[in-house]
Amino acid sequence: MTLTIATSLDEVLSAMANGARPIAGGTDLVVGARQGKVTLPADLVAIDRVTELATVATNDGTIRIGAGVTHADLLTNDIVVRQLTSIADAAALVGSPATRNVGTIGGNVMNGSPAMDTGAPLMVLGANAALTTPSGTREVALADLWTGPGQTSANADELCTALVLPQPPQSSGSAYVRLEYRRAMEIAVVGAAAAVTLDGDSISSVKVALTAVAPTIIEVDGLNSLVGSPANDKAFEAIAEAARQQARPISDLRASERYRRHTIGVMARRAAHAASVRASGQTIEVPVNRAFGIGENPENIR
Amino acid sequence: MFPCTADATATLACTMKTFVRADGPDKVTGSGRYVADLTLTGMLHAKFLYAGVAHGQIDRLDVEAARAIPGVLAVMTTDDVPDHRYSPVIPDRTLFAKNIVRFEGEILAAVAATTPEIAAQALAAIDVAITELPVVNDIEAALADDAPLVHEDWESYDVTGDTIRDRNVATFSAIEKGDIDAALAGAAHVVTSRYVADASHATPIEPRGIVAQWEGDKVTIWTSTQVPYDARDGVCETLGLPANRVRIIVPHLGGGFGGKCGFHFEAHIAALARATKRPVKLVFSREEEFLAPDRRREGMIVDITTGLSADGDIVARKAWVGIDNGAYVADAAFFPQLAAMHVGGPYKIPAVKIDAQLIYTNRQPSGSVRAPTAPQACWAVETHTDELAAAAGLDPVEFRRRNLVRTGDEGIAGQIYDEIGLDQCLDLAVSAMGSPDLPSDEAIGVAIGWWPSFAGPAGAYAKMHGDGTVQVITGAQECGTGAVMTLRDIAADELGVGVEDVQLVYQDTGAAPVGPGATGSQTLLNHGRAVESATQQIAEQLRELAANELEAAASDIVLGDGVASVAGTPAVSVPIADLAATAAGGDLLLGSASAPMPEWPSVSARCVGDQEMASWLAPQFSCHVVRVQLDADTGVARVLDVQAAHDSGTILNPIGATGQIEGGVMMGIGQALSEITQYDEAGKQRNPGLLEYKLQTIADAPTISTQFVEIFTPNAGPRGSKGLAEAPNVATAAAISNALAKLTGGPIRQLPMTPERVWEHLDARRGSDATEVST
Repeated sequence: MTLTIATSLDEVLSAMANGARPIAGGTDLVVGARQGKVTLPADLVAIDRVTELATVATNDGTIRIGAGVTHADLLTNDIVVRQLTSIADAAALVGSPATRNVGTIGGNVMNGSPAMDTGAPLMVLGANAALTTPSGTREVALADLWTGPGQTSANADELCTALVLPQPPQSSGSAYVRLEYRRAMEIAVVGAAAAVTLDGDSISSVKVALTAVAPTIIEVDGLNSLVGSPANDKAFEAIAEAARQQARPISDLRASERYRRHTIGVMARRAAHAASVRASGQTIEVPVNRAFGIGENPENIR
Repeated sequence: MFPCTADATATLACTMKTFVRADGPDKVTGSGRYVADLTLTGMLHAKFLYAGVAHGQIDRLDVEAARAIPGVLAVMTTDDVPDHRYSPVIPDRTLFAKNIVRFEGEILAAVAATTPEIAAQALAAIDVAITELPVVNDIEAALADDAPLVHEDWESYDVTGDTIRDRNVATFSAIEKGDIDAALAGAAHVVTSRYVADASHATPIEPRGIVAQWEGDKVTIWTSTQVPYDARDGVCETLGLPANRVRIIVPHLGGGFGGKCGFHFEAHIAALARATKRPVKLVFSREEEFLAPDRRREGMIVDITTGLSADGDIVARKAWVGIDNGAYVADAAFFPQLAAMHVGGPYKIPAVKIDAQLIYTNRQPSGSVRAPTAPQACWAVETHTDELAAAAGLDPVEFRRRNLVRTGDEGIAGQIYDEIGLDQCLDLAVSAMGSPDLPSDEAIGVAIGWWPSFAGPAGAYAKMHGDGTVQVITGAQECGTGAVMTLRDIAADELGVGVEDVQLVYQDTGAAPVGPGATGSQTLLNHGRAVESATQQIAEQLRELAANELEAAASDIVLGDGVASVAGTPAVSVPIADLAATAAGGDLLLGSASAPMPEWPSVSARCVGDQEMASWLAPQFSCHVVRVQLDADTGVARVLDVQAAHDSGTILNPIGATGQIEGGVMMGIGQALSEITQYDEAGKQRNPGLLEYKLQTIADAPTISTQFVEIFTPNAGPRGSKGLAEAPNVATAAAISNALAKLTGGPIRQLPMTPERVWEHLDARRGSDATEVST
């Protein structure tokens, strides 16, 4: 086995061109290998010291989150917290402080788990994954990237270098809400992200994506009919109903299919509600899970 | 400081101002060594091959290919150790599977190799064929006449004591008092309930480790056990060794919670080390820690019927308790009788008939996890108690006040209680919570609990060195409670020296006299009395020396603050270090004592299948009051505030005791809401890991406030103390259940009360108006 510790993107890409696999925080790969779920690749290239992968920048209407940005950075980064709040909501819920300090958004995305927390927020915010080889970079929509549990359409020599998102318009807000049985060291049983843009009190755009209810993160279809409607309980309930309809949950040791189908509706409704509150210019602290307390008590949302 | 006398109106003057955990800096800084940190020259690595099926016949177990692998120095099976069945009360256990496997974690073979990787290779090279047999996976199905037997040859086992067995019923106990049928027939209200609790795990943070090394015909075993002497005795029994050739040393222990009680794996490693003539080390993975030990918190079904008078007095209780024993009895033979006591509860009930069965299944063996049987039984009974209060039209607190046992009352087994403080616990915890204005998604729940104190043999040695410092050699085992550290304070107090002048030698069976170890809340209760007696012998010697020196009567000499002085004339004194120096030149200052055994109280009820769990020495009492918030949309509950009040007699160490209450409450919250060991159809665990077995985290911790009702309790632990460590784990889940029942319109009848179960319960109630309480 070899481990190359890279300090530049070029080093990473050339190692990968020679068959090495990238490792950043190792929170999925190493843990999975220790549990016998995956075989550790023979050749690894460590990308955690590549500083050019670890920045968040805005440029000409787009926001670029480097693949090496850690969850701990995401939840304190000003651009993310202000403009891509749902990503901060999600990052704040990942694992423990130790996990968040080493786990990266690129690793989370390329691990391809349907239970990943940052996936649904990235999807509703319209993120593309930038996949890079020595010969260039292509951008892939997340819906096209994730092909199944733990599977992506990326080629073996492609490194995810960044998540590229359009800068959200004015009067926009987003939120990610997750069902959790405890407040730390938890994995999503179900979760939902919503991004809402308002025109006055009416919805001018709404997107909702669902976590852990299908082989990949999925976006809820058919919400365009809500454009022009007021952002109220009726609209949120319509979103909940669409989520329940489109979810394809399984029964496993974390929850039954029936319970997941019910709670995905609750999460979708809460995410849409919180995103709308944020879109209206009000602040809900990150993570929105805590602002809700455990019940959807409107007094908790200011 | 000591001795303590309880004063109902004031804080005890004797309580310790500061509590120094001598083991704390080691643990906090990471410099402390655990078994997994030990490395000996030439050391081999052990691994076990497990059955992997819950019930089966071994057709083939061929280890020759494994033995042939370079670097493999031993592969052992049942053929390589003495043919011997062991375990207390019901010897149904063998070191290795013999012909039949009865649960998935049963050991088929053990390997010692030069590296863990080669050991793993060797396991893979073992040729094994097992024909699966029908799995007993349900305690009620296990009772059917045609149920497969977990132990076909159960009748041949050489059991001891008043032990009643029948097929898959490993032990049966009953408590009977009064005319139950007449009492129920005459009751104004009769309430019947069923409660079902799932199994759970102790989950110590340190998975167990063992290192064994032979020197000649003697073996030293470093092991992460809570009970060094049980481990020693187990090795001696199974390998046929005399007690003085087996030495057990426990380095720092990374928690236990009962999960590291009993004996099992030390003998395998000692046998491997003997066969290979090398030190051998075993360190469990987290998965093994879940699957293999003879320790799991037992699943339980409680069917309970209670009759009330028109005024709300409990007049009769009839119950059946079924306990999931798993495949081997381990230390669980007493569980039925103890569970029966808890299902009776700390109430005045004139007519009682409680039957309890410990039932074999093809699951991991159950064994003593912190307050065995109590949290589940208390959850059932205290939830039932709120149903009774509703039937009687009384407030739950008022109902308990009316029926609970007070000083001089007769308990369910007919024991008359000396001075006890259960009513005070209830009053303190309830008033501490008060009556806050609650939002609609919050409620308060109340539960009371109890737990015995266990006295057992324990010895101690003490010596004062020539410089006046003190060494206490104790069989006590520190498992995270800090109780062992309190022994220093007792010694310091008896000898009149500072705590810092007392050092402990502990966790070494080669050095210390026998003791129960960290089990049954016994550390301070038993070892404390032994240390007290041993150091008193030295104190007597010091008084004699001082009496000579100061020309006074020995009985007038007072030891304190490092000096021996004449009572009433503190100026006439001599430093204790001077006396010690004198003694060092002649009669050495040595003490050794066995803790005097307290007298057990008598019981008048008929105890069928008596396992000595009906007579409770120095019973401890508690009341937990919790404030719970419920997210009704998802069933997720959160405990916001806990008020705990405990009667554990005199509190010798308030900081340590409070820590125990807080830890017990957190464990109780886990049992209430999230900790569940799930099984598949084949009898195998589905979630043997920390991702899917949901412990509570510090982020989930509520505010926990603790109060102690300090009643000086004679005939118990040192200085009027009782046990403490298990009692805080008893009532929390029950209190949470009663809060949730208020928020959901009736009790959740399954433990843990997971979000999905709570939501299903809410969803079912939304669909019907059925009342669950018949009056």
